[in-house]
Amino acid sequence: MKIKRLFQKTLFGVIGMFMLIGVATSVLAINTVDGHLSEEYVTNSRNIAKTIADSSVDILLNRDLATLQSLIDQFLGIQGIKYIYIADEKGEYLAHTFVPGIPDEILASDPQSVETVERSLPGIGDCVEVGSPILAGEAGTVHVGMDKGLISLKIQQAIGNQVWLIGAVFIIGVGAGVWFVSLAAKPIGQVLAYGTALANSPTRETEDADDVLGRNDEAGDLARLFQFFVRPSKADEPASGPPEGAATS
Amino acid sequence: MVTRRVLVGYGIAGGLAAPWMRLGAAPLGTGVTDAEIVLGTSAAFSGPSRGLGIELYRGANAYFKEVNANGGINGRKVALKIYDDGYQPDPCVKNTMTLMLEDQVFLLFGYVGTPTVTRVLPMLKKFQDRSMFLFFPFTGAQPQRQPPYGDFAFNLRASYAQETGGLVDNFVKVGRRRIAVFYQADAYGRSGWAGVRAALKRHGETIVGEATYKRGSKFTSIMRRQVEILKRVEPQAVICIGAYAACGAFARDAVDMGLRVPIANLSFVGSENMLKLLTQDRTPEEAAQYTDLLVNSQVVPSYEDTTIPAVREYRELMARHNPAPPAELVTEEYTPFEHSFTSLEGFLDAKLLVEVLRRLGDNPTRDGLEEAVFTVQNLDLGIGEPVSFGPARRQGLQQVYYTVVDKGQFANLEDWAGRFALAGSAPNAGSPS
Repeated sequence: MKIKRLFQKTLFGVIGMFMLIGVATSVLAINTVDGHLSEEYVTNSRNIAKTIADSSVDILLNRDLATLQSLIDQFLGIQGIKYIYIADEKGEYLAHTFVPGIPDEILASDPQSVETVERSLPGIGDCVEVGSPILAGEAGTVHVGMDKGLISLKIQQAIGNQVWLIGAVFIIGVGAGVWFVSLAAKPIGQVLAYGTALANSPTRETEDADDVLGRNDEAGDLARLFQFFVRPSKADEPASGPPEGAATS
Repeated sequence: MVTRRVLVGYGIAGGLAAPWMRLGAAPLGTGVTDAEIVLGTSAAFSGPSRGLGIELYRGANAYFKEVNANGGINGRKVALKIYDDGYQPDPCVKNTMTLMLEDQVFLLFGYVGTPTVTRVLPMLKKFQDRSMFLFFPFTGAQPQRQPPYGDFAFNLRASYAQETGGLVDNFVKVGRRRIAVFYQADAYGRSGWAGVRAALKRHGETIVGEATYKRGSKFTSIMRRQVEILKRVEPQAVICIGAYAACGAFARDAVDMGLRVPIANLSFVGSENMLKLLTQDRTPEEAAQYTDLLVNSQVVPSYEDTTIPAVREYRELMARHNPAPPAELVTEEYTPFEHSFTSLEGFLDAKLLVEVLRRLGDNPTRDGLEEAVFTVQNLDLGIGEPVSFGPARRQGLQQVYYTVVDKGQFANLEDWAGRFALAGSAPNAGSPS
């Protein structure tokens, strides 16, 4: 019974340790992946917005809005881009990709601002929006909204991979723990059986105790100590001390 | 889905091509043999807008068949290599590459749509040393009418700017100044949107509200959200820039939700297809509720007006040749119309193209194409409006027609004020044109 409880405590300890490792590494991974992806997204968005802004100059100056729309429609095919809109220098929306219409939140914002903002738009989701000026803002601004949901998906994928790894290590670790505990429990069981046999023997003698008494580890020392204590006291017998090594263990 | 199967020589259908002509064919120039002149087309033959590509093809085919039956152009039959792009830009670009580089057609003809054509134009500029031109695309957008790509295309139809400008002018004249726009979220929609915006600006107005839809939306799509958006701004008219399935769905939901204002559509919409969607499975009284406020601009005259010589010729050749949809490309259910504005436009496109090819003489080359087009001056196609081209004039027709649904079919709108004048407000001075 004591061995089982000892085993359970060890197992719980192993599980607790792995959970702690798992949670700690997951939190670290979430922060790292989120930070890197967000940074990468903002950088990519800025590059895309700048590319569109640079490409739009001649088109805008020619007032060819169909070609301008065609241009941003092509960029919309890039993974992660949720929307693009272009406003002129007066703030009028000249081209956009919104369906069924420009969201109220964007209509209420300043289209000439190129600050990076986070938006949660109905029907679109959570986005990071960056802006880039066209001709230093004299011809308007380009705004690109990147899907934050994609960042979450990447995080989920990273965490999922990590869970798989920790799960595999956990299973191997528990197996190894059980094996090691069994190794430790086996001599303790021998000592316990020897002690029980000694207690139950009227002559304080047991048979087949050579295995445990012959061990040169702590279990052997303990068995020999048991043997020393259970032998009957004989005043006429010359006094003898405990077996060598028992007092030191 | 892009259908890669090719139909070669539809004009030769009917056993008009003698075998000896093919055996003796020797290449004279790219896209031209002794036997035929090969034209290349990429258009919508599948998807919700397939009716546009099919009807345009049928109208052109009626004329090409007649020409081929009468000996062709200077002894050569007209043949087409056609591909389906489903009204999607990327397949159209791919098809065009195939037509130019593999099929090596003589010219490109009868393309459908702004988002498709605007993506093809840079390719024509890239290969300008091959003198590859795009003839008479079924779009009124500006990119193929102005620099930097205007030099690589020839247009017959009036532009969207002219169509939307006319609609706005007429609405304003009858007192409807609060105009909203429902448009396809792409280059086509933006082109029409820009036309409405520019026209309203001339009247000191702006677009009061806008709603969009995704290209490829079907009639079964729900447009209630778009109707809600536009209802909020209380428009006095809505101009739709879209294809028949989506615009039909919008008109249906607008009526169902009580948005009872004139709903205008451009020529690209495919009027007959839209009317069919709105009226099928309804009683005439029910159908009238959904159609009596429609006003569609057209770039060709009414096919019902048989006083027009070209209309009589069109009806005669459509009846004689009864051109079928390209069976190998059209895999979805489609019932052709006996007559339509779209097929009449295709017919006129083909008629003008044949005239240009005739002017190239016995040894047609691409290098001579532009010069041949510029010789077209005050040409009478039979619709009462002379056609002229020149270096600064790359659009043949300018006139826009307005039609409304009367007794279940589109008829010319003669009286804007009588039909659409805003109750309680006197129309502006001047008779709408």
